[in-house]
Amino acid sequence: MIWEVFRQEESGDYHTHCGNVHAPDRDMALAFAQIQHARRMPANSLWVVPKDEIGEVDADEAAFGGTTDKAYRWAQTFNTDEDFAEEIAESQREQEAAERKREDRA
Amino acid sequence: MNVSETKDRAGPRAFGPGDDVPREYREAATRMIQFHANSEIMGAYLERPFIRQAPSLDRKLAFSAKVQDEIGHGQLLYRAAEELGIKTREEMLTELAEGEGKFLNCFHYPMDSWYETPMIGFFVDGAAMRRQATLKNTSWEPYAHAMDKICFEEGFHIKHGESILRELATGSTAQREKLQEAFDEWWPRILQFFGPTDDQSTHHDFAAEVGLKQVSNDELRTAFLNAYLPKAERYGLEIPDEPRITYDEDADRYEVRESDLDWDEFWQVAKNDYQGSHEQIGTRADAREAVEWVRAAIEGDGPGSSPTEAAGAAD
Repeated sequence: MIWEVFRQEESGDYHTHCGNVHAPDRDMALAFAQIQHARRMPANSLWVVPKDEIGEVDADEAAFGGTTDKAYRWAQTFNTDEDFAEEIAESQREQEAAERKREDRA
Repeated sequence: MNVSETKDRAGPRAFGPGDDVPREYREAATRMIQFHANSEIMGAYLERPFIRQAPSLDRKLAFSAKVQDEIGHGQLLYRAAEELGIKTREEMLTELAEGEGKFLNCFHYPMDSWYETPMIGFFVDGAAMRRQATLKNTSWEPYAHAMDKICFEEGFHIKHGESILRELATGSTAQREKLQEAFDEWWPRILQFFGPTDDQSTHHDFAAEVGLKQVSNDELRTAFLNAYLPKAERYGLEIPDEPRITYDEDADRYEVRESDLDWDEFWQVAKNDYQGSHEQIGTRADAREAVEWVRAAIEGDGPGSSPTEAAGAAD
């Protein structure tokens, strides 16, 4: 049985996928995950999830975000000033970064 | 962990579902996150009519995207609250529909005209964003993670709100007058957004000690005024004489004269006992009932759900 492994580096971080292990049950999966995925890389917590329990949809099947122009959903569409409040500026920087990544792939 | 150990270990994103945090912590966090989740939902319902009433297609699209986002934020937050193990999402939604769930003061007031939309979309959302940015460092990790996504999205909402504000503020004399009227009406409510001063805030101490709350009401109100009062002035809005606001140059901060605000009304609102409270909660309760069949179909035990679909949904 295959278990997908998610590692959290520090308390409060997100658990991110880092690989998988073969194991007959959850306890063994946790033991193997520690050896394979947390021996050198720093870890605060590991999750193991049976591979069969993971659902997936990928970019071949789905047009993520749709194909219609939805400029009205982005902060950068509105030409008011965002720098008067740092949290608004930060939100816009994150949205701009996401938009750039989407454009790079298109 | 007992309460004093929890206080010692409290820090940004310090505790998650795997940690043995005491009941006092779970209850305080549930109260805070449920309030926040309820507010997202009630704010969305207040703005929903303006999808229909928007004056242009652009505004309509943006309003509909925004309302959709806010409902999504509510769902994220109910999940973060649910993981505390005190209440299920279903229980929290029932409490909201039955008038037991508490939510933000500003969302108890009816919003009738387009001129009022920037009061929520710029000032109230802006106040909320000031607060939410500080909650990225809350000690309940699922709450902080929900904040990451909410703050990512929220920039669009506030800029959209300011865009409407600017349009009306640079419009005809009649438009500017109506905007000023809306501002006069909403300004005291907006100042009450952050609640009473810290010495009167009943839940502040514990929530701060266990790291749930990072910044006090007073500090947040000051931070809000520092950024948003100059904005109001820039758009030619006259700040009402009352409540009196003074600027302390040495401390570089604005002070609101608390006694100028109507705290009887505030506490009536806080108890869901204001006239608007009944209307807004009623709207939400009706909508919930009207789409009960959709939930039943998804859960697989209502009309329209086939046996195969039901089996899939139950898995």
